[in-house]
Amino acid sequence: MRRKPKAPPRRKSERGNFEPPKSAFGNSQNAAGIVAAHLQPAAGPTQFTSPFIRCYIVRARLNSANLLFANEFAQCFTQFALKQVFTQNSNKRCRKTAPLEGFVRLKTIKGFWNMRICPDKSSRPNARVFALLAFVFLLVPSSLRAQDSQSQKQPQPPPTPDAHPTAEIFRLERVPVVGGAELITVQAKLDGIKTPTGGTWVPLVSVMRDTLDDLSPENDRLRYVWPLTYTRPTLRQRLSGAVPFLYSRVGNKRSASAKAPPPVLDLAAPDRDVWNKIFWAALQNLMLDPYGTPLKAATRSYRQNASDYRKSQIIRALAVLSLYQAVASGAGDPVFSESELAEIQARLQLTDKTFGGLVDDVNLPRYNAQQITDVRDTRGHNWELLRQRAEAESLIFEPLQMPDGSATHALLWAAKGDLVTNTGKRYDGRFLNIADPWTDKRLLNWQGYCETRFLDSEDRSVSADTPGARAIELVPLALYGLDNPKIPMLLVDFRDGFNPKKREMSRRALQDVTRNILSVSRFGDLPYFVGRTVFDFVTGRRGIDLNQPSRLRTYSQLKLLLSLNQSLDPELREQLGERLERVSLNPMENDLEVEAKLATHQYAALLAYATRPDGLPQKLDRDRRAEMVKLEHGRTQQALFRLGNILSFGRYTHREKDSPELEAKLDVARRFAYHTRLLREVAKSSPQIDVTWDLAEVKRSLQFLVDHAEQADSRSASVAATIFLRTLDDETRRICLAGLTRMTNSRAKTELLHLSQQTDLDQAGKDLLISYLKTPRQPAGPLVVSGAKPKTRVDQ
Amino acid sequence: MLRLGNIAAALRIRSVSPRLIVSLVLLLCCFPALLSAQTRRVVAVQCDGLPYDVVDRFVKERDPHTGKSQLPWFDYIFYQRGTRLANFYVRGMSLSSPSWSLLATGQHLQIKGNVEFDRYTQQTYDYLNFIPFYVQTTAGRRVDMQGVEVLDSLGLPLLTDAFPHDERHATFSLFQRGPRYVTFQRALENRFKKAPKELLDEWTMGGLGLRSSVPAQLLRELVESIGDPRFRYLELVTTDFDHAAHHNNDRESHLAVLKELDAELGQIWTAIQKSPLAAETTLIVISDHGFNTDERVYSQGFNLVKLLGSPAGGGHHVITKRRLLLDYSIKGMNPFAQDITTTTRDSYYLKDQSDDYPTAMIDFDGNERSSLQFRDSNLNLLHIILQQLQLPNISTPVRKALTDQFFMTLDARRAEWQRNLDEVNEELGALRRAIERQRALCATQPKKFTKEDTAAGRDDAAKRICVWQDIWTGQEQGYSEYARTVANLLALRKESFNPSQLKIEDLIAPHALGEHNTVQTLQNYVAGIAPGGVVLKSNGSLDQEKTFARIDYFSLLENVTVRNNVQAGVTNHPVDLLALRIPADLVKPLIAETKISPDVVWVSTGSAHQALILSREDNAGQLSFRYLPIKNLTLDEAGHLHFESVPWQPGLPLEIFEDPQLQVPDGNREKWLSEWHTDSEWLQTLHRTRYSNGLIGLQEQLARHEVGRLIDEPGISADERLLRRLLRRQRANIEADMLVVANDHWNFDVRGFNPGGNHGSFFRISTHSTFMLAGGDKTSIPRGAIVETPYDSLSYVPTVLALTGNLRDDNNPISILWDKGFRRFPGPPVKEVLLLPEQRNIAITGATATH
Repeated sequence: MRRKPKAPPRRKSERGNFEPPKSAFGNSQNAAGIVAAHLQPAAGPTQFTSPFIRCYIVRARLNSANLLFANEFAQCFTQFALKQVFTQNSNKRCRKTAPLEGFVRLKTIKGFWNMRICPDKSSRPNARVFALLAFVFLLVPSSLRAQDSQSQKQPQPPPTPDAHPTAEIFRLERVPVVGGAELITVQAKLDGIKTPTGGTWVPLVSVMRDTLDDLSPENDRLRYVWPLTYTRPTLRQRLSGAVPFLYSRVGNKRSASAKAPPPVLDLAAPDRDVWNKIFWAALQNLMLDPYGTPLKAATRSYRQNASDYRKSQIIRALAVLSLYQAVASGAGDPVFSESELAEIQARLQLTDKTFGGLVDDVNLPRYNAQQITDVRDTRGHNWELLRQRAEAESLIFEPLQMPDGSATHALLWAAKGDLVTNTGKRYDGRFLNIADPWTDKRLLNWQGYCETRFLDSEDRSVSADTPGARAIELVPLALYGLDNPKIPMLLVDFRDGFNPKKREMSRRALQDVTRNILSVSRFGDLPYFVGRTVFDFVTGRRGIDLNQPSRLRTYSQLKLLLSLNQSLDPELREQLGERLERVSLNPMENDLEVEAKLATHQYAALLAYATRPDGLPQKLDRDRRAEMVKLEHGRTQQALFRLGNILSFGRYTHREKDSPELEAKLDVARRFAYHTRLLREVAKSSPQIDVTWDLAEVKRSLQFLVDHAEQADSRSASVAATIFLRTLDDETRRICLAGLTRMTNSRAKTELLHLSQQTDLDQAGKDLLISYLKTPRQPAGPLVVSGAKPKTRVDQ
Repeated sequence: MLRLGNIAAALRIRSVSPRLIVSLVLLLCCFPALLSAQTRRVVAVQCDGLPYDVVDRFVKERDPHTGKSQLPWFDYIFYQRGTRLANFYVRGMSLSSPSWSLLATGQHLQIKGNVEFDRYTQQTYDYLNFIPFYVQTTAGRRVDMQGVEVLDSLGLPLLTDAFPHDERHATFSLFQRGPRYVTFQRALENRFKKAPKELLDEWTMGGLGLRSSVPAQLLRELVESIGDPRFRYLELVTTDFDHAAHHNNDRESHLAVLKELDAELGQIWTAIQKSPLAAETTLIVISDHGFNTDERVYSQGFNLVKLLGSPAGGGHHVITKRRLLLDYSIKGMNPFAQDITTTTRDSYYLKDQSDDYPTAMIDFDGNERSSLQFRDSNLNLLHIILQQLQLPNISTPVRKALTDQFFMTLDARRAEWQRNLDEVNEELGALRRAIERQRALCATQPKKFTKEDTAAGRDDAAKRICVWQDIWTGQEQGYSEYARTVANLLALRKESFNPSQLKIEDLIAPHALGEHNTVQTLQNYVAGIAPGGVVLKSNGSLDQEKTFARIDYFSLLENVTVRNNVQAGVTNHPVDLLALRIPADLVKPLIAETKISPDVVWVSTGSAHQALILSREDNAGQLSFRYLPIKNLTLDEAGHLHFESVPWQPGLPLEIFEDPQLQVPDGNREKWLSEWHTDSEWLQTLHRTRYSNGLIGLQEQLARHEVGRLIDEPGISADERLLRRLLRRQRANIEADMLVVANDHWNFDVRGFNPGGNHGSFFRISTHSTFMLAGGDKTSIPRGAIVETPYDSLSYVPTVLALTGNLRDDNNPISILWDKGFRRFPGPPVKEVLLLPEQRNIAITGATATH
């Protein structure tokens, strides 16, 4: 276990301030009490029925200070593991499917999963391994003690889950991972969902931040993102996913496995996603497609469904994170810095693009801001379009709001009274895409869900006891998503359940028929290219809800909204949920309640994975060792390693051997990347950085470059030269020149030459430059920088 | 004399001869600008729709990432080193074309909308559409944007015209002289001059962004030109904030676009500092209006076109300049589309005739207001009767009654229409002669130009001559056609009247709305035949009340409501107020005032809450206003106006009386508000209220202002006099019958959706705009100063001219500019940014500062 000789970190209080760690000896609480204390949100008590969660929490507390809990933890763990074994043995279906599932994965899927995120084999231990581990734990408690005594010698962040209730809707858990990382999980209060624990808090998204076991944010690296509702499909789901034109759900995954859930993205290696996509596209086109239509259609359907499933989960994760951000920033308690959140969100959004993983980090904030603007623009337009159309057709419009106040969906209603008075009224269904309500006799005898509202004299909804309020009975007609480009997307039609589905199917069917059956593509067939372009243009431009972009986004968000929106009538929510599930085309999807259950179980599995020495800590270690390759090998060697990785279907990944020197190098490399990125942002931002940036911060970053000039690449040299030209501050200029003169790469020399040729440089700059060029090369000692203080994480 | 002494000393002249002194004095008189010019160069960044309050809020916020202001360059340039006007307002509507025209000319408002329609000919003035302009310039049919053409025709020079052609760097703008093709070419080149990785990233993140390449190129060109000391006036127009705020109401989107603007300002400022004229350069940020945007509220649209097309609205075929739901229409992609007609199925009498007979025209742009023009109600009536008379099997009594009514109506208007026809024919005669002269002049123009000619603008000047020939020819054709039908109509005589032999299109001009409606006709607008058909009275005459479907547009619009009222703070009444101009002669008999301007503005929020805005101008050109609260204004058929005066009370239009921000000098609101006050006094008193300078704005928007060639000056030829009368007629023809102003968070956009926010109204949030200045050491512009005194758009041009030494103390331009057509400016310059009077060196009149 790597340890860095650093100042002992302090414990964080729930308010974000640091407090000295409290000894559990001084506390009369037992383990359950501790659990309750840590996981009980301000909003209400939480029950933990899963023995595994309890075990994890006990284990977490154990690591912090209290060895008395070791036995209890071990007992809990064993109890859980035995239960797993018992459950598996008693479940015939599990016994039958498990080997087959394993076989399929081995032949076709395993490589795929490995290529995508590459979860270690060790991350999927079976129940026997659990039992064995438990046995080991019981027999050898001393190993735990030894480990703990070591941790007492070198204090580390408290491993207890750190609940940060930011509002009544979201709360946050931070769980330290041995080895210097933390698992940050956003939990939401899903009032409309039955959870396995009986409570309403459901973990939704986890993100791992590799901190290198210190408090400095400069060497942090965000790693994996787990949408906890994202799970490995069952064999049945996978097989169904490979059936062409099966645009339907085939049932739910009944229970989550004890394996760690699959992450959707490694934020530290987003390019891997790009190469995987390219690799699989090539494999599909070159190797699978030639085997004929059946294989081609099946594999392509499978890939499409798997991709859509992943995408829908990514969208949900994005929605959760942005909602959390909105709530947390309002509460002044953000756990992610703005730039971190921008990075996570941008990277998740870029997974949708072929080359998204290659986008430069510096561009991420801009991209994220643009996406936020675009989504809000779309939402506002659709909100207004639907309101106006409802008004024009004498219908009632009701926006549905997310907890942050943003309206992402809307309901359309018809007033019962209007059904009589407007009978035969002219109706224009454009954009609404539902049948004429004024000629529909079913509505006159509507037996389904109805709601009575009360309106004041200005037609504003008020409570029943408001003086002058008049009652109006409403029949729901449809529900729309507002986040799709161009037009509101019909998601639920209360009179025709197949209506939204057939519109969604039109897109997939067209794509599947042309590509998988007819084997025509835009690039290879001119008439098809022309015809398809015209068709797409006309339907897109006119806003015809056929072959439109998928409902995936708004569908995913609606699921979240249904579980978060507390104002919806439970009966209506239930009806919406039922109808919504019918829209899904994807056999790999699960329904809302199952997802909540799976999320809870998967989170437990993830926590277990995070605490196992051969789990997340090991993975963290392996990732770091893979990251160290860049520090030890040149580009050619790195390329060869990458090739080996690809050719071995991800089985081989080159990693360096861990050593204190390499760890130190890694630390410096990460910090160097951090400062270079900041300086690139600075250099790019303004022609005169003195005006737009706090120079103390800039100088501190420059100083880091100077201190580690031997590691500088051409990018750092360019940045130093640009900043020299864009500041009037002598000290900053001096540091830039010091950096350039100390850098050993050829670009630094070129930049110095360019600087010396600048004609519009002011006299002070010229003088400084000449003095540096005349003097011999500076020794690589530290320079003194005024006013700069090292950053510590401020979000704790 | 001190200065002379200095000069002599500087020139080391020991003995100064009287001749030399005289020569120097003459030199000073001839070139006063040189001596007085504290600012030798102006760089103006014109930001469409940039609200002062939004900028101010963000400047004062810290960016935790950088440790500086969210808008560090605004902070650095204008808050630390410059002066900002905290209360700068649009005068008139908060709408781009009218507002920029005021800012460009410094004269009273002539352009009254983003789109204007000529009632006689349906000719459209589309001031925003630059694509036809660029296409037509390639064919030599245009040289300037349409707004410039209109202002040129009125004899109103632009601020840019104050500077020689080769000393100004113009840009793409609504009031652009001459095209700039090279910008497109260079924009495209520069777009792809990037590292492949950078291009790949940009493509991945959202395409290649070709649309943004032009603004980026314009900035690049501006920065290049700043380095050239030859340029004395440089401008850049940016529309990014306006576009963003129409679409998005969230803080993040607004901040993002403002940060981009801020970075651009940084580039401009840095370029200025590196330029040789840095010390004498003034950088200005100016905007044409504010923005009614609120993060908590989506702006809601109300479709006036649909309303007017409905049976309740009159069943009009409606002309707009933009297609309804433009973004959802294939045809909407055509940038050359002529006027868009929205055909209604509910027309009372013009079914399937929308191509020929649109009966309403709407300019909804800006969106918080809409200008409505309706066809003359009497033309409708004549048209309907002609249709009825042409029906087969019509009974004799009905025929007789309809014929009688036809000629009764025609005779009632005959004198007015005949007078107009005669005048129009006179004017057309003068116009034809002018076209001939112009044709001859055009023929003499050179066709090839040297680089020097181009740099001096001589090529454009030559082309302009021929372009005007084309424009006048088009106008002559349109007006002649209209005059022909009117003449035919007036030629009808009862005794020889045979409807079956007549073609309606020969009598009722297609594509024309005829004369303006009056308050009486707008309250009793003939929309069609009533469902009961033609009804005769017992005496055999036509029962007008029962025969015709009539609309009271005031009642209709004021009582419009919607049923989907889902946002807190937004009313279900989309219409806030209606306003129109009525002749003062109708008002005078009912009030104690006699010396008032010919135009009175009537503003109404309902029959019980109305007001008249009276105005007058003294000999010095000082405008004064009075607000007269009234109710129940009507105009009878005999042309007599009726209304009842009411005391000041809450609920009157513009909500002045009850506004807590009203700052009446002596505290007695009713007394002060009932008196005459100058425009600056009203501005001072009202500007912080909810409607800020709405009272002044309504008068500016709706009244007619005699400027430039609209005035009959002594000494002009008879033809020139007629042409000026034609100009006045054309400007009158584009006036709206009715101005409809939206309620808070409502808009009338029908081409798409603007949920982010809108402008166009008189709300302070929409009219409160930005004017900031910062200059080099020699400009003497105060540093870190805030001007709290309220100013409006009319102050912009005089301020810039005063800064550059081109304005005399009596608000007249210096003689060089006078010769270019500049005249006395009605608005005061912002005195706080000028040098103290004793430090000024403008000595032509010897007058002191007048304000």
